[in-house]
Amino acid sequence: MCENCVKSDLSLLEPVFREFEGDEHALVSILQKAQEVYGYLPIDAVYRIAENQKVSPAKVLGVATFYSQFRLQPVGKNLILLCKGTACHVNGADTIAKAIKEELGIGDGETTADGVFSLKEVACLGCCSLSPVMMVNETAYGSLTPAKAKAILRGIRDEGK
Amino acid sequence: MRIVIGEGSCGIAAGAKKLHSALSQLGAEVGITGCIGMCYLEPIIDLYEGQDLKARLVRVQDKDAQRIVDAAKSGDLSGVEDLRISSDDESFLSKQTRIALRHCGIIDPESIDSYRAADGYKAIAKVRESMTPEEVIEEIKISGLAGRGGAGFPTWFKWNAARNSKGDEKYLICNADEGDPGAFMDRAVIESDPHSLLEGMLIAAYAIGAKRAFVYVRAEYPLAIIRLEKAIADATAAGIMGDCEIRIKAGAGAFVCGEETALIESLEGNRGMPRLKPPFPAEKGYIQKPSNINNVETFANVAWIILNGGKAFAAMGTENSKGTKVFALTGKIRRGGLVEIPMGLTLRDVIFDIGGGIRDGKKFKAVQMGGPSGGCIPESLLDTRIDYKELGATGAIMGSGGMVVMDDSTCMVNMARFFLDFTAKESCGKCVHCRIGTKRLHETLVRITEGKGKEGDVELLEELCRGIKDGALCGLGQTAPNPVLTTIRYFRDEYDAHIRQQQCPAKECVALRRFTIDPVKCRGCTMCARNCPVGAITGTVKNPHVIDQTKCIKCGACKATCKFGAIND
Amino acid sequence: MIKLTIDGVTVEVEEGTTVLAAAEKAGIEIPNLCFMKELSPYGACGICVVEVEKCPKLLRACATKATDGMVVTTNGERAMRARKLAMELLMGDHDGDCLGPCKLNCPAHTDCQKYVKEISEGRFADAVATIKETFPLPAAIGRVCPHPCEKHCRRGLVESPISIAHLKYFAADQVRADGNEHPVPVSSPTGKKVGIVGGGPAGLSAAFKLAQYGHAVTVYDQMPEMGGMLRYGIPEYRLPKSILKCETDAIAALGVKFVNNFKIGRDAQLEELRGQFDALIVANGAWKSTPMRVKGEDLQGVWGGIDFLRAVVTGQSVEIGNRVAIVGGGNTAMDACRTAVRCGAKEVYVVYRRTRKEMPAEDIEIAEAEEEGVVFKFLCTPDEILGRDGHVVGAKLQVMELGEPDERGRRKPVPVPGKFETIELDTMIIAVGQRNDPEGFELMPKTEKGTIAADPKNFETSLPGVFACGDTVNRGAGIAIAAIAQANEAALAVNAFLAGGRYEPVEPVVSERNLTADNFKDEPRIPRVKMPQRSAEERRHDFKEVNLGLTAEAAMAEAKRCLKCGCHDYADCKLIRYANLLRTDTQRLRGDFHTGYVEADLVAIERNQRKCITCNQCVRVCEQIAKKGLLGLVGRGFKTVIKPEFNDPSAIAGCRDCHLCVDNCPTGALRLLDK
Repeated sequence: MCENCVKSDLSLLEPVFREFEGDEHALVSILQKAQEVYGYLPIDAVYRIAENQKVSPAKVLGVATFYSQFRLQPVGKNLILLCKGTACHVNGADTIAKAIKEELGIGDGETTADGVFSLKEVACLGCCSLSPVMMVNETAYGSLTPAKAKAILRGIRDEGK
Repeated sequence: MRIVIGEGSCGIAAGAKKLHSALSQLGAEVGITGCIGMCYLEPIIDLYEGQDLKARLVRVQDKDAQRIVDAAKSGDLSGVEDLRISSDDESFLSKQTRIALRHCGIIDPESIDSYRAADGYKAIAKVRESMTPEEVIEEIKISGLAGRGGAGFPTWFKWNAARNSKGDEKYLICNADEGDPGAFMDRAVIESDPHSLLEGMLIAAYAIGAKRAFVYVRAEYPLAIIRLEKAIADATAAGIMGDCEIRIKAGAGAFVCGEETALIESLEGNRGMPRLKPPFPAEKGYIQKPSNINNVETFANVAWIILNGGKAFAAMGTENSKGTKVFALTGKIRRGGLVEIPMGLTLRDVIFDIGGGIRDGKKFKAVQMGGPSGGCIPESLLDTRIDYKELGATGAIMGSGGMVVMDDSTCMVNMARFFLDFTAKESCGKCVHCRIGTKRLHETLVRITEGKGKEGDVELLEELCRGIKDGALCGLGQTAPNPVLTTIRYFRDEYDAHIRQQQCPAKECVALRRFTIDPVKCRGCTMCARNCPVGAITGTVKNPHVIDQTKCIKCGACKATCKFGAIND
Repeated sequence: MIKLTIDGVTVEVEEGTTVLAAAEKAGIEIPNLCFMKELSPYGACGICVVEVEKCPKLLRACATKATDGMVVTTNGERAMRARKLAMELLMGDHDGDCLGPCKLNCPAHTDCQKYVKEISEGRFADAVATIKETFPLPAAIGRVCPHPCEKHCRRGLVESPISIAHLKYFAADQVRADGNEHPVPVSSPTGKKVGIVGGGPAGLSAAFKLAQYGHAVTVYDQMPEMGGMLRYGIPEYRLPKSILKCETDAIAALGVKFVNNFKIGRDAQLEELRGQFDALIVANGAWKSTPMRVKGEDLQGVWGGIDFLRAVVTGQSVEIGNRVAIVGGGNTAMDACRTAVRCGAKEVYVVYRRTRKEMPAEDIEIAEAEEEGVVFKFLCTPDEILGRDGHVVGAKLQVMELGEPDERGRRKPVPVPGKFETIELDTMIIAVGQRNDPEGFELMPKTEKGTIAADPKNFETSLPGVFACGDTVNRGAGIAIAAIAQANEAALAVNAFLAGGRYEPVEPVVSERNLTADNFKDEPRIPRVKMPQRSAEERRHDFKEVNLGLTAEAAMAEAKRCLKCGCHDYADCKLIRYANLLRTDTQRLRGDFHTGYVEADLVAIERNQRKCITCNQCVRVCEQIAKKGLLGLVGRGFKTVIKPEFNDPSAIAGCRDCHLCVDNCPTGALRLLDK
């Protein structure tokens, strides 16, 4: 194990391993659970998962970097998923992205300096009829305007205080 | 009267959950249902007297809670008259024929009893009691049901192939990885009627002889996963699953996993990279065992076909395309939502009669069908029928059901750029044509939308498109050029305007916009100058203002704030 | 067994055989980059696509099982289109240099990177052998070549180019002094006879090559010694004749017969020679000075540039007086002015119609001339050469200014009306160009310029069996190494002709990186070694060599600065082989490159991801054959890279002994390090 890596509490993975015991095809599911545990996939957890699943770390990293759901870096307290689907595109998702950038000063894949928000642009949230849409921590907000999007984010920030 | 509130994802996003708790706090008994499909009217509350729908209230707000509770208690609807759906909006539903969506927005998706009360699980009972697997497959064959995920392959044929494949360990897989941006039919079905999916799957599992099944659902659909988990638990508890085990596997965000062999790789815990075909999944699928994969909507039709007969299904539609098809109607449409219609209606029927035409009195320009694999169909082809073959002839495809309507403010070159941005990002990276080809397509389109296009770019795009279609390994790559090819085919003039005149006719491409102030219309109110984020506008009060083109970042803030229409672009 | 037809060839194979294997059996090559017999088919590269009758789609030959009665076409239009596109896409994303810019931009494609490396390792004899793979005169050419290699050297983007030319002659001098030159390989005699007219760089290089091919070669030259312009045009202080003599002697030692003082048209007719030899190469150079066509050019004391240089070299008594002007801005003008200084002139002027910036001469030559006291008069040109009693006494110069740029982008000089200047002179040397002398070659067809017309690729002339190259053909006079490049091609053409064939060279397709200084901003700066020189004051009085030569230590240090741009795998690279086979345009579909990284620290394998084509062969070999699984794909789509998982020391330990990944990389992305 590398010396400069983070040291995560790997015991938290044990229940996950028990849940999928004997399932050699559960790598994606295990990574999903691990991400729920840590909020992201720490590199030492990746190694531990590889060891447990008896596959090479390279393979686990390959899977973890293939799917857009997985992240190898921690994210902010609130994860904003901004829909960039077709309907949202047609209805001005780009202006919402701009508004979020203005409000938070972050672009796609970035986290605010205070760690409160992370922004991730996603392909489609499937709420096309409410476009443009964003989802913050699994709550969807539809029919956005730049002003409305800013107000929602301010509300979430204030709530957390 | 019973209060039932629509709690699909759209409804919840529009405020249904908050409304629900507001009503509950007032002491009302509130039932839930899924998505009725009129997303543009959410949140929606239905008032029932027994099984009879007495009133449908739309665009309900929290502040309306009290009078709704009052109306429900008293049975006097006069207090909520202004919330009732208009007859014009009712026509959105009345022109549809609902089979896959037959329970959506009617039953409680979280209640197995509610499903059973609507003839639920009668088809699987019938199958198990009185039909051989061959008879089931025959019935599906008669129905003419074809894969609703996009390719339109005959369902019976796949079932039959899997049934006849050697080996006693077989797998059934439901593809609920609805990745097409602009499509949400499958989400709506799972959220609103999860048992109908399960029943369809159980029938298919019986037909092909599978004991284990998976539903591969997008991780972006948390509510669908929750409801499906509950449905599986309830059905298991009710002893309906028989000897078949159905498990949910959440996708992890990769559009390419909609391709069946990539989906299988993902199910096996690998990177979702497509396999070479043959062997086809019916022969060697999940863990190299015979497997059959169908999409959600396909399964949602199955129970109905068994109960009503394949003939009844085949009676609807055209020569080539039987039954009904669900569409997610979105974009610049007046009435957006879920639409299920018999095959054979025209695009015009769907967009104008059901969808109510274009919003804000603007002009129809095109409809995008089939998402990143599909194409844009222009006004001149609006009378094309909903039919696999006829839609295919336009260069677009039936697709899984995304129908994004565009008006004249949508730039078609930018639309092509949008889709190639998507496919390039979603390309798994395995084959050269797709990995590098879509990237180069995207780069060229970006160049054109930025006003850096050059003569020969359109020909370069066409050449790349042809080569990628021929050379790419899987469906994602082979169809990725379609949005480019159809926009070139029908909107070549827009490409030429970008390349030759440095103009975007739809005024969408920022780099090609040029904002100026009409000195005659400008009253010198200073609003624009105050709202300009880069201080590019100067002028004194009551005198015409001027935009410094060297500073202007073309954001359009000035135009948005000007009350006198003095800003041209 | 099943029978199928591939490109019209019927082949019988066992059931389960792929189309690719069946084609191989039928002797038909289907290109492929991600297939390996020992691995399961992968289907990524898309280059092996073929058309199969009745199948609407193109199929991948690596993965398609042959069936009985199958009719396959491997080179149909549609498959070729998809295949070519795949190659263009791959090459457009392949950020690597096949050859170093030095080798690529040397007209003769001398393998500079290789001999520079050999010099850096102290293997001087190997370095000379490497140079002699291309031409026989390293000591001479190293001294006179304007070295286009250095102009393109990437080190120039860091601080200054590798001193390639100096290294070249250092190695030659060192090996000559050590007497340890490797013998030049020579094929056994063919019995064919080749005559060469002209013993300059072109003629000698052709002679050297043809002798190596085993032919009996005779070189004829009108002058008493071999070497051509190297001998009679380049002043002694730049190239000592004794050194040149050693190199021409070495050519003679290969069995080449030298006949001097022999002039075509005087001592024999061209047709007579044709009768004596199986093939003939005409490489008689460009030995006539181009006149300026100004009044007074026929006065005594007016010289042509090369005529003046030749007179001095051959030791004729040359009376030039105190005031000398040289007209022209090229290297001949520089040689002439510096020679004039050495002949004792007090005032030496160079008259050039443009400015210093536009001078075609080497910067170093201009600087050294200035050091030696030469005065440059820019933006003027002789309007008339003034004479008295038939001898030059001065010149009237028209003052010029720079006007609009010409088609090459150089601003054109135009006269300033009415503005003149007069200078007093004893000698005027006109060094504005040189051309070939057609005398004796009347039979040979000429170009519009009056040069001999030869095929620009294989240097055939319209006379069967007669080839022509060097300054005498086509575009006329150029630099020595360009003449040598032509001679090498002509030698190949003669060789083919003697074997009854025809040489038709095809420009090789190579991959080339487009880099700027920005790409090297993190590269450590290492100053270029300085060539020790005699002081200007000392050297202006004699003809002894100006440069004192590099020491072995300095040369090795200088050679170590090389960035090693060219690819180690060029000879074996499957990718570039197919790029050539399919004549791929490597630049047309360039865009962003995939994320590349170079990593060489951890194990004995250097990974250059910039060259990687993501065929995944290394990953699959490591997993399926080596059973280690140390490599993996990271990321998705265009951004996909292959990365080893080397965060873990045990993984590094696991990567040992086996270099299956390196062996199976179809291009040069992986390299086994020497350590």
